[in-house]
Amino acid sequence: MRICAFILVGLAAASLAADLPRSGYVLIVHPSSRAARIDRKFVADVFLRRATRWPDDTPIHPVDLGPAAPARIRFSQEILSRSVASVRSYWQQRIFSGQGLPPPELPDEQDVVSYVVSHPGAIGYVSLGTPMSGAAVLEVN
Amino acid sequence: MRFVLAVSALALLATPPAAAVELRLPGDLAQLQVHGFISQGFLYSSDNNYLAHSSQGSFEFTELGLNFTMLATDKLSLGLQIFSHDLGPIGDYRATLDWYAVDYHWQDWLGVRAGRVKLPFGLYNDSSDIDSARTAILLPQSIYPAQNRDFLLAQTGVEVYGYQGLGAAGGLDYRMYGGTIFLDLRPQPGNPITAVDVNVPYVAGGRVLWAAPAPVEGLRLGGSLQFLRLETHLLLPSTPSQVAVNLPVMLWVASVEYTVRDLLLAAEYSRWRVRTESSNPSLVPEALTFSERGYALASYRVNSWLQAGAYYSLLFPNVTRRGTLDGRQHDAALTLRFDVNPFWLVKVEGHYMHGMAGLSSSLNGNQPLKSLSPDWAFFAVKTTAFF
Repeated sequence: MRICAFILVGLAAASLAADLPRSGYVLIVHPSSRAARIDRKFVADVFLRRATRWPDDTPIHPVDLGPAAPARIRFSQEILSRSVASVRSYWQQRIFSGQGLPPPELPDEQDVVSYVVSHPGAIGYVSLGTPMSGAAVLEVN
Repeated sequence: MRFVLAVSALALLATPPAAAVELRLPGDLAQLQVHGFISQGFLYSSDNNYLAHSSQGSFEFTELGLNFTMLATDKLSLGLQIFSHDLGPIGDYRATLDWYAVDYHWQDWLGVRAGRVKLPFGLYNDSSDIDSARTAILLPQSIYPAQNRDFLLAQTGVEVYGYQGLGAAGGLDYRMYGGTIFLDLRPQPGNPITAVDVNVPYVAGGRVLWAAPAPVEGLRLGGSLQFLRLETHLLLPSTPSQVAVNLPVMLWVASVEYTVRDLLLAAEYSRWRVRTESSNPSLVPEALTFSERGYALASYRVNSWLQAGAYYSLLFPNVTRRGTLDGRQHDAALTLRFDVNPFWLVKVEGHYMHGMAGLSSSLNGNQPLKSLSPDWAFFAVKTTAFF
């Protein structure tokens, strides 16, 4: 029992110690979205395709940046609590076992903004300072 | 055939890395994604032939897969995967439909797949062919035996699945299925017993995994249960008449996995119960066998191109014979994975093996297992390209 408690405390400490401040990117959604804040766990479920619908039943269309983009690396660590490589492994398992497909990866932050603005239900992230072109910005709880 | 595979591999590697091929079909919604992988490995063992004729070194370790998934609507998708492999005496480069399914994702908590669907048994059974998704070359063979791939990989039938968020309590991922397994009978050179036919009237089961909330997000705990019945008729050298043998089987596995950043820890424990029913017990004795299996593994991504992994795996095919050398297999493995680029990797792996369980008599000159070497080493090198 003591060993179990020790392991759980250790795991919790490791997670908390790795909890970096959220900065370097902003979360954006289609301009029709009425939400101003969003739960981090829900965002993680969306990008791992465990949650596929907004509360109003609109399909969610998440979009990723390429694996080397700094905003992707930061987003992956802070929102998904995994490295980009670990997320790629997760998707390799899903793709080749017929369990689902990852969000599309776009090469450029302006492409992500254009995708989000032109797809109702879309959600993405871009570096701070990227022109928003009408996309709504969400704060993460 | 090997030449064709080698040329295909070279062509794949010579091509500049590209993401999955995505084709826009006519209409707004239809979208086709194509993914693929090709692997070539080399196996070598200091003693005993394991999985292939490894004691002389063997290149009979090849995998090739190509899959197509079409998102017809936001709830409906169709997919299939063509797979060809060779691992010693199994596979023989035959191209098969590894899985194919129509998937209706009605809500996040309820979806249905119909077709040939990979079996969710333990943490990694449904992804056991996917070299790029893990550090190790061989998954722990106690729970994911490569020789049993045809029995354990996929079923033809229906699967109900879903994910239910539990708020502050995390989330539940569940899959339940029922169907059958179609097995191809292949001649087994050197085996004195001939199987005339093999049928699986049913396979059914499920897996439930609980995903823990913060602060231990990344922790998954769960279990899998599977029932199947295997019916066969055997021809034995000692008699001209067939012996009907039925094997009701129950398998379960308890699983725990923790992923944080670049660290993965996992452990699983499993028991398999196999009853043997025979129409002629004097020739094929009736029996009830319990096997016990388990492993613990760790892997860590050191940087963008290097991962290191290790596991310790235990197999007791018959718990009443744990004390015998041919009744157990201890497997301590170390792996290094090098990601040359995002679409090409190379792995090297070494195993220290103790015990002869898990070895095949027919791969070792039909010698009884107890006459084989109890302490031996096993090495594997593998390269995989994928997109």
